[in-house]
Amino acid sequence: MADDEEDPTFEEGNEGIGGGAEGGQGKPKRLFSKELRCMMYAFGDNQNPYTESVDILEDLVIKFITEMTHKAMSIGRQGRVQVEDIVFLIRKDPRKFARVKDLLTMNEELKRARKAFDEADYGS
Amino acid sequence: MAALWKRTSRMISCAMLRIRRWKGSLRRRSCVDFCYFLILRSARPTGRQTGVSAEMFAMPQGLKGSNRDGIPDDPDGHLEEPRARERALSSQDVMDLTEGDKEASASAPPAAKRRKRDTKGKKDRKPTVDAEEAQRMATLLSAMSEEQLARYEVFRRSAFPKARIAGLMQSITGRSVPENVAIAMAGIAKVFVGEVLEEALEVCEMWGETPPLQPKHLREAVRRLKPKGLFPNFNYRKITF
Repeated sequence: MADDEEDPTFEEGNEGIGGGAEGGQGKPKRLFSKELRCMMYAFGDNQNPYTESVDILEDLVIKFITEMTHKAMSIGRQGRVQVEDIVFLIRKDPRKFARVKDLLTMNEELKRARKAFDEADYGS
Repeated sequence: MAALWKRTSRMISCAMLRIRRWKGSLRRRSCVDFCYFLILRSARPTGRQTGVSAEMFAMPQGLKGSNRDGIPDDPDGHLEEPRARERALSSQDVMDLTEGDKEASASAPPAAKRRKRDTKGKKDRKPTVDAEEAQRMATLLSAMSEEQLARYEVFRRSAFPKARIAGLMQSITGRSVPENVAIAMAGIAKVFVGEVLEEALEVCEMWGETPPLQPKHLREAVRRLKPKGLFPNFNYRKITF
């Protein structure tokens, strides 16, 4: 299973951005088609983007996630992906770094809020 | 705190640039109304920012997204109070629906009343960093056209499903990934998509073509972004000797 995911990284040298006849990862099913369409509209594309463009973007995203995951596995605790690893990998990119920090902070607050809410329910 | 201020200023100035160029492409964070409402309810007992919820939802009517920042806002200026209050109440309804709990609905009227009272009292509060940011956000929103608002709404709401991302990472690592990691990765992936798309739109404009983005624009965008370190490059090891 891991081998299938490693193929795209080897193709990178051959301009393997995905799509085309070989089909990048050769995915039988598109994972993020709907979400990507929404995002393309959100970021400035047409309301109905081309399917080929969506496919290319999906391959890009999957490749990105795959590479990040592989890198995260190789640093810090080997074989595991931890949040700290991701934050470390992202540290050079200000936008992504800020976004991750916000998301994690927000997640903590939501957890606290949910907990407090549940306690309030029981208390009152 | 200064770092937070710098970051949010940069985000807003970036956002304003983008609005000018791409008629609505913005870069802000997203949140679910319900969850945000939960946070506000929890903030109430501490006695701070109780009236904030009205401002949280102070968005033009077409929009349902909330003004979410990394830290709950404490805004002073906002668009329209009546609309904001009604939105706060409607989120309360959402909460009742999702909770389906008698207790929750019983506490709803006092919560709503409290919110109304605090909204009035809040104007006197000293503007904090968050207040200023919320104000700028409100100004930005009021300046947007219909199309831009629609795009912005989709921008805030669109996201990669955490479950699928976690599944993908699990198939790569061979073991389960913590929830935080999936959340972080989903967020990063969205930022990544945004960067590629904005570059592609720039390429499209430069080549004198129109929006539905074609694969060639995307490929050119990726080609341009690679040297900037967009892709965590795994294959090319640095040759020191």
